[in-house]
Amino acid sequence: MPIYEIVFYTFSLVMLASAVAVISVRNPVYAALFLVLTFFSASAIWMLLEVEFLAIILILVYVGAVMVLFLFVVMMLDINVEPLREGFIRYLPVGLVVAGLMAAEFLLVIWTKSRFGPEAFPSPPPHPEGYSNTQAVGEVLYTNYLLPFEVAGIILLVAIIAAVTLTLRHRSGAHRQNPSRQVQVQRDERVRLVKMKPEPRQEG
Amino acid sequence: MLTLAHFLTLGALLFCLSAAGIFLNRKNVIILLMCIELMLLAVNMNFVAFSRFLGNLDGQVFVFFILTVAAAEAAIGLAILVVVFRNRQTINVAELDDLKG
Amino acid sequence: MLAEYFPVLIFIVISLVLGAVLLLTGGILGKLLGHSQPDDEKASPYECGFEAFEDTRSKFDVRYYLVAILFIIFDLEIAFFIPWALVLDELGTVGLVAMFIFVIELVIGFIWLWKKGALEWE
Repeated sequence: MPIYEIVFYTFSLVMLASAVAVISVRNPVYAALFLVLTFFSASAIWMLLEVEFLAIILILVYVGAVMVLFLFVVMMLDINVEPLREGFIRYLPVGLVVAGLMAAEFLLVIWTKSRFGPEAFPSPPPHPEGYSNTQAVGEVLYTNYLLPFEVAGIILLVAIIAAVTLTLRHRSGAHRQNPSRQVQVQRDERVRLVKMKPEPRQEG
Repeated sequence: MLTLAHFLTLGALLFCLSAAGIFLNRKNVIILLMCIELMLLAVNMNFVAFSRFLGNLDGQVFVFFILTVAAAEAAIGLAILVVVFRNRQTINVAELDDLKG
Repeated sequence: MLAEYFPVLIFIVISLVLGAVLLLTGGILGKLLGHSQPDDEKASPYECGFEAFEDTRSKFDVRYYLVAILFIIFDLEIAFFIPWALVLDELGTVGLVAMFIFVIELVIGFIWLWKKGALEWE
């Protein structure tokens, strides 16, 4: 049974169908959830290619984190969707024509003269037992690509700073506790002992 | 029998779909950002397929960097979106025309 | 190699089938056995006896978003650690120093945002 092909075509169909749904559904929440489905199917197809590390990173980073971000933004902004949909019908023919032309060109390049067929690119042999894709990626990443790796760290640093500067807004008038001040408080700051003479009780 | 052409076709179709999505949802910045993510996924698909069929791991390392940059881009892009919405109460691209002369 | 992931595929198929079966039987049996006569009052959102004050989709606060962004960035940082940990033996000191620089870069960001008060919940 050609299980490899069945899995490939199933996940490809799911992926393309959910991509169509992403660009055409009305509600951005559904669009974000269909985007999750698209990324999940893509991850399954990468798994078929025995690219396990990236497949799992795709799930971890995209399905786990970026999609949560998209959902937060959709929920946070509370948008009236209707005005954003105008022009959908008007641009539908243009979009379809452009996408169709692009797809035709791509397919023409890919499938003519069997440029990427089995003769030019024979199926790679499956990895041997005990092969670790993660380790192989690490060997390349931390030898040939050491500088890009550090630059990626800088990019992440810039992302932290940009995100915090853009979104952080201290609320004025918020009452905050300062635990270290609370602990450090001295007796004299709270209690004042006053010596005074006893007064005679006033008869009412 | 799956060849490289199958995987490239998948990437190409995904790219065309996301390009169409940019045409169709010209007003909604959130969907535009999602389409950009889809485009990057299509490109990554090609990288991964070539990397596997050529037996060369550089493609996978590159995809890893693309994922890093794309996640940072999504985070900052959505942060800008939040600030724009806070100041203008809209994310309609057609209404964000302050720079128009 | 791929055969090792076959159980995962089976799990996916089983969960899809189970979800579909439960949803379909629930939906079909509910339609057949129960009788539903929704009207405006029944279908309206119910909020403990009084009219609903506002839309169900209330706005999130922006601070959740900031936490999500920071989560993504440190998530990616961890993703860089995984292949590094596997090849550290072969890399030796070079790998250690490289990762040290990388971590320093992010720790700078972490200290900065801590000082800035981005982690406080007010």
